[in-house]
Amino acid sequence: MKYVATRAGTSDVVEISGGDGRYRVTLGDEVWDVDARLTAQGIYSLLIGGVSYVADVVDRDGTCLVDVGGESYEVLVEEQTRWIIRTRGGAAGAAHGQTLTAPLPGKITHIAVRPGDRVRAGDTLVVIEAMKMENEFKASAAGTVAEVRVQPGQAVNPGDVLLVVES
Amino acid sequence: MTRLKKLLVANRGEIAVRVIRACRELGIATVAVFSEADREALHVLMADEAYPIGPPPATESYLRIDALVDVARRAGADAVHPGYGFLAENAGFAEACAAAGLTFVGPPPAAMRAMGDKTAARTLARDLKVPMVPGTLEALRSDDEARTRAREIGYPVMLKAALGGGGKGMRLVRQEAELAEALRAARSEAGAAFGDASLYLERAVAEPRHVEIQVLADAHGGIVHLGERECSIQRRHQKLIEESPSPCVDAELRARMGEAACRVAAAAGYVNAGTVEFLVDAERRFYFLEMNTRLQVEHPVTEMVTGLDLVREQLRIAAGEPLGYRQGDVTWTGWAIECRINAEDPFGGWLPSPGTITGLRAASGPGVREDSGAYEGYTVPRWYDTLLAKLIVWGADRPTALARMLRALAEYQVVGVRTTIPALARIIAHPDFQAGRLSTALLERILPALRPSEGRFASIAVIAAVLAEYERGRRPAPAVAADGAPPSRWRWSAPSGWSRP
Repeated sequence: MKYVATRAGTSDVVEISGGDGRYRVTLGDEVWDVDARLTAQGIYSLLIGGVSYVADVVDRDGTCLVDVGGESYEVLVEEQTRWIIRTRGGAAGAAHGQTLTAPLPGKITHIAVRPGDRVRAGDTLVVIEAMKMENEFKASAAGTVAEVRVQPGQAVNPGDVLLVVES
Repeated sequence: MTRLKKLLVANRGEIAVRVIRACRELGIATVAVFSEADREALHVLMADEAYPIGPPPATESYLRIDALVDVARRAGADAVHPGYGFLAENAGFAEACAAAGLTFVGPPPAAMRAMGDKTAARTLARDLKVPMVPGTLEALRSDDEARTRAREIGYPVMLKAALGGGGKGMRLVRQEAELAEALRAARSEAGAAFGDASLYLERAVAEPRHVEIQVLADAHGGIVHLGERECSIQRRHQKLIEESPSPCVDAELRARMGEAACRVAAAAGYVNAGTVEFLVDAERRFYFLEMNTRLQVEHPVTEMVTGLDLVREQLRIAAGEPLGYRQGDVTWTGWAIECRINAEDPFGGWLPSPGTITGLRAASGPGVREDSGAYEGYTVPRWYDTLLAKLIVWGADRPTALARMLRALAEYQVVGVRTTIPALARIIAHPDFQAGRLSTALLERILPALRPSEGRFASIAVIAAVLAEYERGRRPAPAVAADGAPPSRWRWSAPSGWSRP
């Protein structure tokens, strides 16, 4: 499972797997094996490389407040796809010039253009369903649709080229 | 001698719990009172009996003399302990208790009145030749008089409300140009807070220490002092950390201050536990400030170093017993420090942080005492002061006590509300505090540099936050509601964790 943790204005991808008290957490290029127990509501015991930490975690308006080692941190944790939708979804469609790639995993539910169509900035190009939400991706500049590489109902992964627009 | 059998505690929170504990040890039955906001408060759970006294605002519940006396009478109580705050220094309440045949655990109303008026108390101290900060004894009659007297005393001067307390109506005036505006502001504040805009003037002492002397007086002329408490760590005139003894007081100064405090208390006809406050300047000269006619929040540090239970002593004195010891019998051992754990966000402007305490692990172990009004699952009401608990430690000497306090603060876990704990740890660790270089200006000076985190545990915090979110997603039904409150009010056992050892 991939999350994006945002703290002090910096966002990092955090990958976590495992369960029932034993987890593997990848943060940047570091991998941590974490033995974690919930000892009371919001009070976590973490054993990381033999070092014992007690972390208080509480949710405040969607942000995690974490107290550990006498210090306090505010961490916003989002599933990676939700983070992508929030930060890039919708308007910022044709990211790399004229090539629109899928920014998140999902399913194509609608393709609004065909090859040869002229589009203006802000026109809807495709709709991807992810996180049970329909996310519209729009043209960032005017141009002509050169290629459509996906079909409705098709599953896409991040980085898949969806369509190409030429200016 | 009247033996007390059943006592009504006219208070709430940790002090109500403290009084109930002393009563239980003495075999005195206890009656709690509670506002509609306090049905689940710890003092209600701990008392033998508990009765509602009205809606959440204190003016409609804990400050209602008629309701309190009525409950005491109906419950068959024979005594009332006022705690601190609320009606503790209200002579009218003490008189109403007496009129209803109830023993009031506190000083006689006349002594309360004599000390409650600050200018009258200063006049008494002057007549007793107790040192005072140079200033006016009577309330200032006009701006002109204030200007003349301020010149005589010498700037900087401090304007104070005659009926003051808690820093309300206080203004530091550095030079004459600031005087008129300071008079106006202080009068308006004093009028709003105390219903009396009378002010007096004192010379401002630079970087003073606030040191107070605990006294105990019985109804038979016996009086002793229990030494000092250093209370210089204050934020906006609210004490945050107290200790006994004071790093600036030696046996000789303690004896002189104690003798002065006893002289003031005796002259006022004082009986029961009381506290005489002094300022101590950089040359270790002390000046009488005022007398507090009640048990103080910070009384436990005195208990830890003297071995006396002050509430027990209060109850014995109220029952008419003599002290049974003299000044020479009072001894002091080791060092005690108290930290006030308030439901406030020290890194968020110290704003109150009411809410539900979803997780709580109090500190314990050698030399640690916790006087608390909170428990896991308790919802901190927004109606009253923010004090949740007092963490008190004892050590053989000051360095031992400081190390122990840092250890205890690190153990203390509160989840669900923000507390002063992280700020307290940083103050205790500050070089000036460690060195005992204390003054009432210290905290305001070092607060701006207190940061919520230094980033040493940033990765651990991120891992903990992601873990919490990951497990929240994996659980079929969330064990924590969106607002962070436990899913059920009827959670008696530990919450069902997602993995238990």
